[in-house]
Amino acid sequence: MTQPVHILGGFQTDFARNWTKEGKHIAAMIREAVEGALAATDVSPREIEVGHVGNFAAELYSMQGHLGAFLVDVDPAFSGLPTGRHEAACASGSIALLAASAEIEAGRYDCALVVGVEQMKTVSPAIGGDYLGTAAWYELEAKGVEFPFPKLFGKLGDEYDRRYGLSDKHLAHISAVNYANAKKNPKAQTRTWYMNEEHACSTSSYNAVIGGRIKVSDCSQVTDGAVAVVLASAKFAEAYAKRRGRRLETVPRIQGWGHATAPLTFDAKVAESKDQPYVLPHTRRAITDAYRRAGIADCWALDGIETHDCFTTSEYMAIDHFGLTNPGESWKAIEEGVIDFGGKLPINPSGGLIGAGHPVGATGVRQLLDASLQVTGKAGDYQVANARRFATLNIGGSGTTSVVFVVGN
Amino acid sequence: MARKIENVVVLGANGAMGSGSGSVFAAAGIRTVFLARTRDKAEAGRARAEQMVKSTAISRFIEVGDYDALEAEVAKADLVFEAVAEDLAVKREVFARVDKARKPDAIVATVSSGLSIAAMCAGQSDSFQKHFLGIHFFNPPNVIVGCELIAHAGTDAGVVAFVRDLLAGPLGREVVETTDTPAFAGNRVGFKVLNEVAQLAEEHGVAFMDALIGPHTGRAMTPLVTVDFVGWDVHQAIVDNLFANTKDEAHAAFELPGYMKKLIAAGHLGNKTKAKGGFFRSEGKGKDAVRLVVDPKTLDYRPVTENVRALPPVVGQMKALIRVGRYQQAMDAMCDATGPEVDLMRKVVLGYVSYGLARVGEVVARPRDVDRIMGFGFNWAPPSVLADAIGARRLIGLLDRAKLLVPRVVVEAAEKNLNLFDEPEVDRGRFFVAA
Repeated sequence: MTQPVHILGGFQTDFARNWTKEGKHIAAMIREAVEGALAATDVSPREIEVGHVGNFAAELYSMQGHLGAFLVDVDPAFSGLPTGRHEAACASGSIALLAASAEIEAGRYDCALVVGVEQMKTVSPAIGGDYLGTAAWYELEAKGVEFPFPKLFGKLGDEYDRRYGLSDKHLAHISAVNYANAKKNPKAQTRTWYMNEEHACSTSSYNAVIGGRIKVSDCSQVTDGAVAVVLASAKFAEAYAKRRGRRLETVPRIQGWGHATAPLTFDAKVAESKDQPYVLPHTRRAITDAYRRAGIADCWALDGIETHDCFTTSEYMAIDHFGLTNPGESWKAIEEGVIDFGGKLPINPSGGLIGAGHPVGATGVRQLLDASLQVTGKAGDYQVANARRFATLNIGGSGTTSVVFVVGN
Repeated sequence: MARKIENVVVLGANGAMGSGSGSVFAAAGIRTVFLARTRDKAEAGRARAEQMVKSTAISRFIEVGDYDALEAEVAKADLVFEAVAEDLAVKREVFARVDKARKPDAIVATVSSGLSIAAMCAGQSDSFQKHFLGIHFFNPPNVIVGCELIAHAGTDAGVVAFVRDLLAGPLGREVVETTDTPAFAGNRVGFKVLNEVAQLAEEHGVAFMDALIGPHTGRAMTPLVTVDFVGWDVHQAIVDNLFANTKDEAHAAFELPGYMKKLIAAGHLGNKTKAKGGFFRSEGKGKDAVRLVVDPKTLDYRPVTENVRALPPVVGQMKALIRVGRYQQAMDAMCDATGPEVDLMRKVVLGYVSYGLARVGEVVARPRDVDRIMGFGFNWAPPSVLADAIGARRLIGLLDRAKLLVPRVVVEAAEKNLNLFDEPEVDRGRFFVAA
């Protein structure tokens, strides 16, 4: 990395909120996130030099495009701000972060605002499921299919089963851990919901099968949410820290990043990887690129991971792809409690997507914010003890676009 | 005190509050025994608990029985939770049985919010009284996490501290401690507002008042729809209790309006009496369904679409501002608008802020407590959120103009130029609704 990119802080809306029931437009979500981030970081609107918005499908859910312009609307000082919106399905938030950090690295700007936002509860679950299908190859994989994404991630589980064997009880443990972690997260969607491993293993009208091995308890839930973070160059961050009587070393930075896109259809992905050790080799490469750029050898240099558990199977995949185990042996890390909150390498202490909720465009920014809170000791009740370095993995589609960040002091 | 809660007994486990309360303990993995007058009723309570948490897995922690099993189960209990009828004599009889059977350090809690905690345990043993307190869950507890914790003068401080930690920790509650005063904090402040709107509806109309003090004033459910939801019988019990047993600056607001007394006598209890209704009722089915509203003067029900009284323009302005997240400007609009109808809206909304914050010192210790119970219990904008949005100094001026009491804490906030709302993890914005 040419120039360090620091994370000054940010704000997340409560993912349990239903903004349609509150009668709100997506503009309100962006406004609350930005106002919250400016208050949390104590950065003045005048200091922001560029704004990037990550959002998947506001044209569908909210009948509204051109979201960058809503940043300008938040404060008179933003009038004229350069802005744009970025999309890569569920990785939209991370793509927006990549754009902002690249500009800081290039020396174009010293201080950037990044907002990830999605408003999803505007339509019924069935229509929403159809919209989500546009993150796949819609005509080939989603059109006419009820809830296409659970089925696609069920196929990920099937691929693991075919190659290595996969026990549903290991997936249930992932769900139970993430729900339990969410209970400690005051912004988590599911923090009042009932869940335990027994429930996650059961099938009933309360835990219906969506498709194949995927039950409701294996799924992250649709919700509304917005997250804003402020990124800065070292020069800006140093002055910022000094004004507050702090050292630059206390302001976390993006130590490494990785970015890759696999073939869009799930079948093309597994066909391409059939003779390779990793089921999603491009996701693996994004992870190893991030490690390399961060100057770390492997996952054991990390104190925690916020990964993209849109379904339990995607976290199952992340376990071996991050290198906690050899390919196909994710179950070992699960059985040994490695990924548990108090384990050797906790995964999703925030609750992840399953526990905290998955407002699509917001997730990547939420992950980065949570990672920065962890390494600055500000994660409250879901703080991982002595966390110095965290990684995030944000995935769009059925493992299509992968973005990884390593965050640390 | 190395206390453990491994066995809980719920008495009256069939009712909404009984089964709901039981589900809170069972959801934390604590063995919970649901007792009711018959085993079938207790079983119904268990089924209700499953429905509430949407899982059959919770039943692993629930056992059922009738009151013949009371002594045997109470003998094993670490905590006895009472949720039987709201009748002092019935409760006293149950408590006498519990007193004889309980372990010396077992905690006894009541979910009652209509009776004095001290009065309920009077006459029981010293040990019973030391271990007795109120745990007022809000309904339904799987969604509403606000919970009042009420000690009486004789409750042991260690027991209070233990229960506070139990509720806030494994039971996932947002705890607010209140004094043993009528209706505690939430219902006292909430029903003051609800009954005041019901009183004003007599002169100004039900639909008009309900819309005037609508979501734009900081609540998802409008006031008179809320009374229909809660039940007119419950509403009456609460306001009658407050009218008889309190004497503060808002005493007159607790007098149940005459038209409501007449309708209750004629069997109108709100949503639980679907055919008769309450403030509103629905007639017909599907596309032909018509929503009717009562005329307090004639007691007739007319379609809501008839004789609609226009709301002042500021209401539409507030909704438009709230919709795009401009909550501060919406409150500015409410403060700046003029006209008798706006005065009426301000009287009720600022009256809520004044009444809520003036309970600090009497019912609760800090503004934060009133805020937490109104936010987490009623899902209303906490008084401090509104006070901060208006600004303490401007609020004092508006309260004076409306001849409302200026709470001490507001004066202090104005003097020190400080915000009152103190819940950093709560999104203020969620309380401003643009429906």
